[in-house]
This record gives sequence, C-alpha cells and structure tokens, in this order.
Amino acid sequence: MARPTDPSRRTVSRQRLGRAAEEAAARYLETRGWRLLGRNVRVGRGELDIIARRGPVLAFVEVKARRTHSCGAPEDAVGAAKRRQVARLAELWLAARPWAMGGVRDVRFDIIAVDLTSFPAAVRHLAAAFTGD
Amino acid sequence: MLASVPSEALNGLEGHPVDVEADVVAAAPTFSIVGLPDAAVQESRERVRAAIVNSSFAFPSRRITVNLAPADLRKEGPSFDLPVALALLQATGQVPSVNGTRGIAAVGELGLDGGVRPVTGALAVAEGVRRRGVAGLVVPAQNAAEAALVAGLAVYPVRDLRQAAAVLAGGGAGADRAAPVDAAALLSTPPSGDVDWSDIAGQGQVKRALEVAVAGAHNVLMSGPPGAGKTMFARRLPGIMPPMSLDEAIAVTRVHSVAGLLPAGEALVVRRPLRAPHHTISTAGLVGGGATPRPGEVSLAHLGVLFLDEFPEFRLSALEGLRQPLEDGDVTISRALTSVRFPARIMLVAAMNPCPCGFHGDRERECTCPSYRVRQYRSRLSGPLLDRVDLRIEVPRLAPQERRVLDLEQTSEVVRARVTAARERQLERLDGTGAYANAHMTVRHVRRLCRLDPEAVRLLDRAYEQLRLSARACDRVVKVAQTIADLAGAETIAASHVAEGLTYRSHGMGSHAG
Repeated sequence: MARPTDPSRRTVSRQRLGRAAEEAAARYLETRGWRLLGRNVRVGRGELDIIARRGPVLAFVEVKARRTHSCGAPEDAVGAAKRRQVARLAELWLAARPWAMGGVRDVRFDIIAVDLTSFPAAVRHLAAAFTGD
Repeated sequence: MLASVPSEALNGLEGHPVDVEADVVAAAPTFSIVGLPDAAVQESRERVRAAIVNSSFAFPSRRITVNLAPADLRKEGPSFDLPVALALLQATGQVPSVNGTRGIAAVGELGLDGGVRPVTGALAVAEGVRRRGVAGLVVPAQNAAEAALVAGLAVYPVRDLRQAAAVLAGGGAGADRAAPVDAAALLSTPPSGDVDWSDIAGQGQVKRALEVAVAGAHNVLMSGPPGAGKTMFARRLPGIMPPMSLDEAIAVTRVHSVAGLLPAGEALVVRRPLRAPHHTISTAGLVGGGATPRPGEVSLAHLGVLFLDEFPEFRLSALEGLRQPLEDGDVTISRALTSVRFPARIMLVAAMNPCPCGFHGDRERECTCPSYRVRQYRSRLSGPLLDRVDLRIEVPRLAPQERRVLDLEQTSEVVRARVTAARERQLERLDGTGAYANAHMTVRHVRRLCRLDPEAVRLLDRAYEQLRLSARACDRVVKVAQTIADLAGAETIAASHVAEGLTYRSHGMGSHAG
C-alpha cells in the first residue's frame, strides 16, 4: 500500500482502518455465537459501534483500532469521556426499545481492540471493560 | 432481585440500626450507593467489587442500587463494605438469604483481596444490634472479643468474605462463634503494674494529699519545681484508684473502642485510664470534635485520670473547653445535623511549676524570675477552672536524706484498699443521688448528707471569716473533709478533718481568694 503523503489521503486511510477494524470485530463476534443487533447505530448525535446479543447477555461493544503501538494499547483509547458517552447512548437506546431486554440478564459494555500491525489482525475482546459509573 | 442485610451506624457512642438493601436489575451496568454515604462509603464500591471477584464470586454486570436505610441518616466509614457485599451476593442468588425473623447483621471493612478488616466501635455496634433484637452479628475476627462482651448476641468472627458468606448461608448454624467473655474474671485479676506507689521516696504529705484526692475523686493542682516528682505521682494514681466495676469497664472500653484505641483481639479495658496530653494539644484534641466527632483526651480519660502537666502552657481555649466536662461529667459536640455526647467523668490532675524558671519558693535554688513575670505566669490559671480544683498540693524537691526514705509497706495495693473502703462508704451515703464520689456532690447533697461535729462547724465558720473564703470554697472544704472522715472511717466530720481539708485549700498560690 502506498504511504499517504497528503492530509486528505491520511484521513481516508484512517476511515478505512476504522472500517477494517469493525469488520474484524463483527466477524469475531459472529463466529463466537453472538447475534449482531446493530452496527454503527445512530443514537441522537452519537453512534454505538456494535450491539450484540448472546444468550442472556446484551453487549454494547466499542471497537478500537490501532496501526502502531506508539499510542498505547487500543483499550486505553476508550477514555473516561468516551465511556460515559457509550453508557449514556446505551441507556437511550434501551429506553427506546423495552422489548430489547426480553430474556436479558446481564448488560455489558465491552471493548474490542483490533491490532492491525499484524496480519491477520489480532482481535482482543475485553468483556465488561467498563461500567456506567 | 432484592436483598437486605442488617447493620449498624454509629453516631459517637450511640448505635443506630441500618438496613443495607441491594437491588440488582437487568439493565445497563452501574453501581450506585444511596443513603447519605460519605466518601469512604462511596469508595466501598471499588473495594466490594474487587473483594467479590477475588473471592471467586461473580460480580453482576447489571444495574446495582444499594440503599443504606434510613435515608436521612449520614453513613460514614468503611464498615459497611461487608454488609454491602453480602447483600449483593444474596441479591444475585450466590448466597441464600437468611431465613428467620431475627436475622444476622454484619459490619466490616473489606480489602481488595476479600479479606475482612477490623472496624472501630465494635462494642457499641454489638450493643446496638442486640438492642434491635437481631440474633447474630458477623464481625472481623480482630473485633470479636469486644463484641462478645454483649450477652445474648451470637458473634461470628470472620477473616474473609467467603467465610462471612458461609455464615449467612447456613443461617449461623455450624459456624464458629466467639466464646462469651468472662468480663468479671478479667476485672478481678489485679492489674499488674510496672509502677508502684512505694517506688516514691519520702513525700509523705504529698502522698497523703493524693490519697485523699483519689478517695473522693477530687481534682488536684500540684505545684513544684521541675523534677520534684509530679509526673511520677501522676503515673501511679490509677494504681491506687479503686478497681473498676463491670459497668465502668464497659463504659471505658466503649469509648476507647470508638477511638480505635482498643488493641486487636482485646475484649476489655481493665485498668483505669491515665491520659497525659502534651500542652500543645488543640481544643478538639483535648475535649473532642473534628468533622466526624471523635472523643477527646478528656473522654479517653473517663473514669480515670487526666494529667495536664505544664498546666499554664495549655491553650486557654482548650482549658475553657474543660468546663463542661468538669461540671457535667460529659462532653456534647454539636454539628449541623446531629449532636454527639461522650462521657468524661474524670479526675483532673494539673501540674505546674511555681514560676517560669521553676524555683520560686525552693529552699535551695534561687528563683530568677522578676516578680511581674511570676504574677503573669500565675494569672494564666483561669479562675473558673481553678474553682474546680479541690486540692492544691505543693510537691517540693526532696532534701538528700529524704531521698533514701522508702516506705515499702505502703504499696499501691495497700493504699488502694484504703481508698476502696472510703469509696464504699461514699457510695452508701450517696445511694440514689447519681453521684458516686464526694467530689461530685452538689450543694444540696452537701447540705443534706454531710454531718459535721459542733467543733467542726465552729472551725469552718472561723475559717470562712478569717480566710475570707467564698461559700463555694467552703463547700469544697466540706467535701474534702468528708473524704478525710471517710478514710478514717468516722461517722461524722470532726474538726481535725476540717483542719486538714483547709490545709489543702489555701496554699501559697498568691492572690487567688478562697
């Protein structure tokens, strides 16, 4: 792949990275028995990366991709503000869909970290990575 | 699912029943604690989460609401960690709820590893739980001995969360219980002192005066040059005081427990306390206080001795704070929402040098202070506080030959026996009045209960006129004379008793009238 040299091309590449990571995460979940209820779900002015269900567990998954290790581990990129936002959006999403809680016992906020420095991409799933407080 | 574990909150020494309720609902995971929790209680969420996970239980990924009822009572400190964790385990079905109406309460701090850590005030908590009618109490193992002082309460010592959960799961059956403490036996073994009354050479007059003071629980002011032995005497005073009754020992233990001063594993304070704060102590340190009211030195000395060395160096505000406890026998600390009362029935022993250099009136060394400084130094003694001192004793430096005179027969035990006998006579006379020693008699008690011989009355009248004593000072002399009569086993107060009482009253302290 040619190295991006101008800013516009770098941005596009970052979007592509994001998409690639989400794809990897989605495939990862599906192969492990998760049913995807939604991807890039718009809630108000925000977005939830993946909403998935497996048995009694309903998970809101935030996906993070990294090309290099220079910025730290991918899971650390989900900072406090982002976590609060995910929790808030999840509450809103749930509030609008009472039926979504049918048969659900556990609700989780997970992080899937996709390390794109290796090929194939390494996927790390952190279950219950954070809570709403 | 809903669960509830009984617990207890402490406001000073008073317990207040608390119900730790936990509600776990399938919803976005949050963990909130309500019920006016302070910072430590809010932080317990972290400790509870780690303790549950590290004890191999599951921590629910659901909406958790913990309520510490009643909702309008402030909850403070980490002692709710354990009941919160247990309520959570019950609400998630990992531990069955306790059946039966009388239930099992719990207190304890949790470590991140799931270990249960000791709390302060376990005795007061146990008393509160018992009063409420709850049958059992899960406590940290280090607190079990003091909790076991409470009769009729099943005390379960635990070291970690798993053990506590097992106690609840079994409803208490089959769980280790703390053995009931034989407090009477603990009290009856005489306190083995490392100091003894007979250690002190000579000073016969001082010894006599202090014996009188202790017998009647009279407050004392000792004056003397540095190194004369004032501190030596103060340290030996608890040894000649009458042994504590069970109620007294429990009262002292309760205060020390709340202050966190009870050593781990110990059930009961068996020796009368001696507290000797440094003169730089703050008012709150001496009298009690702080954002969360804690007992001060005066309460830690309850039923014992409060020794204030270098009395004039203490902050005036701190000394002023002693008025209420010296008058009422307790301290009331008011805060915005509550007020807290700590007991503070003490024998005050104040010590001072006669002047800044310490040698005013010394037979050998010259005092180097200008006279205005001596006056200034003595004027630092607050009048109202001095009013509560019943005996003023001069402690001179011994001449060399006196230093070799040891009276080995007058041991603490021997003196204590005399003092105890005198106290028993007082208790008989004071039965029903609420006072337990002559020093605490009110003016009415003195009028009604003290019987003076005619010569004693005449002597007292003469002293009133010639020494210009105030009425208050007269009453004080009578109280001391009564104690002297009690030590002598006399039915009435004789002139000799009044005469001795008068010597303790007017001592070369300068200009203070009466």
